Amino acid sequence: MRDTASQTHTACEECDLLIAVPAVAEGERAECPRCGHTLTQKPRQGFERSLSFALAACIFFAMSLSFPFLTLANGGIENVMTLLEASVAIWREQDPVLAVIVFVAIIALPIALIGTIIALVTPLVLNKQVSWLPRAGKLMFFLNDWAMVEVFVIGVIVSLVKIAKLATVILGLSFWAYILFAICLTASLSGLDRLQVWKAIDAATP
Amino acid sequence: MSYPANTAAAQGLALCHVCGHLDKVELHECTRCGGGLHLRKTDSLQRTLALLVTAVILYIPANILPIMNTVQLGKGEPATILGGVVLLISMGSYPIAGVIFIASVMVPVAKLMALFYLTWNGFRREPASAMQCTKIYRLTELVGKWSMVDVFVVAILVALIQLTGLLVILPGPAAVAFAGVVVATILAAHAFDPRLIWDRLKEDND
Repeated sequence: MRDTASQTHTACEECDLLIAVPAVAEGERAECPRCGHTLTQKPRQGFERSLSFALAACIFFAMSLSFPFLTLANGGIENVMTLLEASVAIWREQDPVLAVIVFVAIIALPIALIGTIIALVTPLVLNKQVSWLPRAGKLMFFLNDWAMVEVFVIGVIVSLVKIAKLATVILGLSFWAYILFAICLTASLSGLDRLQVWKAIDAATP
Repeated sequence: MSYPANTAAAQGLALCHVCGHLDKVELHECTRCGGGLHLRKTDSLQRTLALLVTAVILYIPANILPIMNTVQLGKGEPATILGGVVLLISMGSYPIAGVIFIASVMVPVAKLMALFYLTWNGFRREPASAMQCTKIYRLTELVGKWSMVDVFVVAILVALIQLTGLLVILPGPAAVAFAGVVVATILAAHAFDPRLIWDRLKEDND
């Protein structure tokens, strides 16, 4: 049982101005007239684009877990580092808290995020009625706050420069896959606007 | 507490914390997703302040203690965050020194100061320009994750160099402290409610 005001109106998240739900066409964006906060936007083919980028990200992520990430060559000794090792090595150095933070931010949350996007957007694209959509929606917006994929990419680049004087570093297949994964994840998320996603979830929940 | 007439709160309507649905606040639970309904974030200023104090306390060991320890031929060489920046400058890697300085020193300090300023304005009866405060708030939300760069750099260097024998890099205690600073400031930015600033506006100033 919903009353009428909550159906036709929304409020700005940042200044609480009460406004009629803005009607946006594809490719348009609506701003709060008082504080300029983006209330909603509707990218062209948003959900289809999100889903295809999410599927691509999924493949790139699988690749980045299966191949060498970086290889260090120093006077005949070679050390191959996988993506997983970034946190495993810290665990071995008796710093479990840091190891868990790194693992969660660069591996666990991104996997969960991609999985949730696919689970959420697939039924929306196929116009299927599914009961778990509200739960998927909640989870996705929460995970999005804490995944740090793009920050990790910058971290890798900084490390490469720091190490360049000490030894030769060979960039592995997994390194390139992770960068493509980061790009696809960002592209996928850019098609998912909170207001539009929840409107679609409302329509698709039995 | 009375809210300005043009806000959702004045009509007894609140946005759901989780899905952003506008609902009657007396329902306590969102009719769409079951999330909590509050006119304003609960104890926003107190929580923000508590998390900021936590971040400031953690910031001290994060800067005094070494973030990583380079052990070469049995001799340890601990480096702090600032020490790392100085080393990069002496190596001539100015762009990377810039990235680390901005991400690890400038951004956390600026973010702490910005959030203290916002909280102070939340307590004041006549705050500074609401538009200006909202812009500052948006910036703190945007830069949140990027300070993690240095933590990831440590993770990668530890993993990459561990097996070469002659040179070992160990994570220092400052790495965890610094990750704590980043997490605490992200939570503090989440806890802050920018609508509080707008609530103090006299309506004729709109």
